[in-house]
Amino acid sequence: MQVYLPIAEMSVDALLLLGIGFGVGWLSGLFGVGGGFLLTPLLILIGIPAPVAVASGANQTLGASVSGLIAQWRRGNVDPRMGGVLLVGGFIGSGLGVQLFAWLRRLGQVDLAVSIFYVVILGSVGALMVRESVRAILRRRRQGGPARLHAHFWMHGLPFKLRFRKSRLYISVIPPLLVGLAIGVLSAIMGVGGGFMLVPAMIYLLGMPTAVVIGTSLFQVVFVAANVTLLQAVQTGSVDIVLTLLLLIGGVAGAQFGASMGTRLRGEETRALLGLLVLGVALSLLWGLVVTPDSQFAVGPMPL
Amino acid sequence: MALGLLLAAPVAEAQAPAPPPRRPAAQAPLPPPPPAPPALPAAARPPLVAELSQAQVAITTGFSGTEVLVFGATERLLGAGGDDVLVIAQGPAQPMVVRRKVRVLGLWLNGASARFWRVPGYYLLAGTRPLAEVLSEEERAAKRIGLEALPLEAAGNQQSEFREALMELKQAAGLWGEAGSMHIAGARLFRASLPLPATVPTGDYLVQVLLVREGRVVARQELGFRVGRVGTAARIANVAKVQPVVYGLLCILLAALAGWLGSVLFRRG
Repeated sequence: MQVYLPIAEMSVDALLLLGIGFGVGWLSGLFGVGGGFLLTPLLILIGIPAPVAVASGANQTLGASVSGLIAQWRRGNVDPRMGGVLLVGGFIGSGLGVQLFAWLRRLGQVDLAVSIFYVVILGSVGALMVRESVRAILRRRRQGGPARLHAHFWMHGLPFKLRFRKSRLYISVIPPLLVGLAIGVLSAIMGVGGGFMLVPAMIYLLGMPTAVVIGTSLFQVVFVAANVTLLQAVQTGSVDIVLTLLLLIGGVAGAQFGASMGTRLRGEETRALLGLLVLGVALSLLWGLVVTPDSQFAVGPMPL
Repeated sequence: MALGLLLAAPVAEAQAPAPPPRRPAAQAPLPPPPPAPPALPAAARPPLVAELSQAQVAITTGFSGTEVLVFGATERLLGAGGDDVLVIAQGPAQPMVVRRKVRVLGLWLNGASARFWRVPGYYLLAGTRPLAEVLSEEERAAKRIGLEALPLEAAGNQQSEFREALMELKQAAGLWGEAGSMHIAGARLFRASLPLPATVPTGDYLVQVLLVREGRVVARQELGFRVGRVGTAARIANVAKVQPVVYGLLCILLAALAGWLGSVLFRRG
């Protein structure tokens, strides 16, 4: 069934979009990531113009994350205080990221910069996650005893300490603010919610327990994605609500299945799977940069 | 009645000495006798008449491409040894960039680029015979007919490879073509179809119908149609353009609502 997308100015198969939405929504519920890092490349792959794919991807991420967030909130897996601190950093960061994006655009290499960002960030995050979770699984098999909650290092000596009860942490607000800021910058450039980077950052940098990490990252992603949607609608006018809603219909169904499945998986296993997925996307994007293209030329609209 | 027909026919013959003999019996409607056109000069009789099947192509939410028909008739016979008809449909011009991909350290990146300020979003040519047989190269260049003669001024890189790449990629997308189908009936009626793919750009389209005799364009008629979004698709595109802040907020609300609805529905299920 063909459906015409009014902003993308093209028609696509509605069933294909529903399927993509379901798959990405399922991952979103399972891992607590918005799925933008998968959705945007997939949409570009099926021929949606890149600006529309980025903007509508952010909008779909928002909806899918709301659905996941409600599911996690009911299970008491959200730390609102930590989410709020991350969000303050996130808004500042996405403001800076938009400036950086405009600067890259003036240099004329924004496509390449975005691809390289994707490959480097997804590649290193994925590799780190797989390595760490495989180690954790091996350690658990050998010893069977509980490990320490998190390692202590210089970061924990910083001032402005705040108690995050849900996360069972008493740490300075500076590290979460910086994490939020960095994720905000990257998410503005890559056009994603940033959950796939936030999840490992919260686990490895802040030392939060995996159960709370997923709900809290969804909390942050919802608001960052809302901010990106509004900015894109005003600045580039490339948010396609028909595309978004089709993706969401599949997405909300998928997210619920994912969330209930996620509670049955162990933290290490969830992280290993997410790591493998992220790594896979990075490798396929790298392949796209390396493989000889069909045509030596590309035609595109004139950048404004 | 019979008398009127008999009288009308010789008058028509006498008025137009040059054209081939007409067959009035085939065309004359029987009931009211057509009043003979009083002393029209030969030049005023149109050698070419053409019309479009529609003046408006509506893009609805279910749009997946369509077809516009150009049909018409000529005064003289069409086909081998006779006149030729060319139909040229052109969409609104857009500025485009063509970039060459180059390999640096094993990675393919965008290298040199050429900017074309006025690239027709759609270009289709259909003729009674292939274009090269109908018009000479000089005539095509002078009248700017055919893909090769499109006025594509490039800024930046001036190499012809960029122009050729633009041609190839636009033709591959089904937006440009030079071999549209033309159907001829009774050596005087012609009909060409303009296929519009789902990616067709919106705007005003110009359709030129040219009558070619012995390698010269002797008559032309210009028609036009408009491709526009209607209904929901049009309203969405309009709000997004005119009220971007409202549209953005609506997108946020709708997405959040869809997410919330989903979680309510699936909790019960």
